[in-house]
Amino acid sequence: MKRIQVLKAFGVAMTLPLLYLAHVSPDTSSGFTLVRSASAVVGAPLTPVSAAGVARRTTVRAASASAASTSAASQQQAATAKQQEATAQQQAATAQQQAATAQQLAAAAHPPIGSTVAALPAGCKPVTEGGVEYQNCGGVHYRAAFQGNNLVYVVQ
Amino acid sequence: MPSTYRARLAALLAKCCTLIAVAGISMAAQAQPAGISPDAQRLLKASTDFLASQKQFSADTRNTLEIVMKSGQKIEFNHLAKVSAQRPNKLRAERTGDLVDQVFVYDGKSLTLHNPADKFYAQVAAPGTLDAMLEFARTKLDIVAPAGDLLYTNAYDILMDGVTEGFVVGKAVIEGALCDHLAFRAPHVDLQVWIQQGAQPLPRKLVITTRDMDNAPQFAVTVTKWNLKPKFGAQTFAFTAPAGTKKVDFLPR
Repeated sequence: MKRIQVLKAFGVAMTLPLLYLAHVSPDTSSGFTLVRSASAVVGAPLTPVSAAGVARRTTVRAASASAASTSAASQQQAATAKQQEATAQQQAATAQQQAATAQQLAAAAHPPIGSTVAALPAGCKPVTEGGVEYQNCGGVHYRAAFQGNNLVYVVQ
Repeated sequence: MPSTYRARLAALLAKCCTLIAVAGISMAAQAQPAGISPDAQRLLKASTDFLASQKQFSADTRNTLEIVMKSGQKIEFNHLAKVSAQRPNKLRAERTGDLVDQVFVYDGKSLTLHNPADKFYAQVAAPGTLDAMLEFARTKLDIVAPAGDLLYTNAYDILMDGVTEGFVVGKAVIEGALCDHLAFRAPHVDLQVWIQQGAQPLPRKLVITTRDMDNAPQFAVTVTKWNLKPKFGAQTFAFTAPAGTKKVDFLPR
């Protein structure tokens, strides 16, 4: 019965597919990071399941900070356009951006162990310990892994 | 001359738009048949049974995926996928595009996910049949296997599970093939399937509309090419890690 429900939820979805496409990770690295981290909903096969999965990852990964700053940035643009009429909006956007920056700094300083990111921060160096390759990014070690169809980096 | 041309074009467009609008209105006004029409069921069943009877096949597909951003704006991503299957226990799927570059290989014993551009792959022991492997990948690894539900031997039941309404929309031409256009409704999604007419009732297009999400994003797959007599090589369903490609783990679900 449980299986049936899951299938109802997303089954029809991944269906016919030759189709796979399903799991397009809104998180993979390369290019569309902005869109990916900003995307709230994935409209694919896997409907609710996928969306829930994405949301779960979004909360965990440090990239949530970048999502926040993305939305803050776009809000700020909107605010600038309507500056004359909407000074208050801009203030709100600025406040959000500050909050996002703070969040980003916090995330960069202390990514929780076991959390995953879709893309590595800049300036990483590969290190091998015990036959396993890690990426040393400013003292924080990451290890690549597949989470479902998505390649992610796990904070060690 | 140009202005006359423009005027004629405008008149033509206006005519077309009117026709489309009228057609749209008349279709919208049409009462949707209640329940699932036997014709729609029959056509879908014929297609899934036909595919289930194929021992091996490959298909090239063009896929579009919509993502809804927090602002409500829709963004579309495009991918190409090639799926090769050999019953009862071999599968290979490659997809490339905006968001992914991934190869999925199942050789009857293990399942491999390979991201060529990232130079990483992960491999795990898998059950010995396609059905069991697909179930294993979905429930244990959260991996969506290419060709998904189509490959299940009970594809029809999976597709129709939860469907409350269904009807035949009419005829359509997809990728040059004359098709029957079917539409179904399930609790969270709407499904449209186009099935090739004739002796080989293959699915040619599938559109999934996720109704219960803002702006109802869609996922669409069009099969640009079916091959029911593919020539598979020894390497089709085997995975050999290219030099420089590193093995990583699957995170437990």
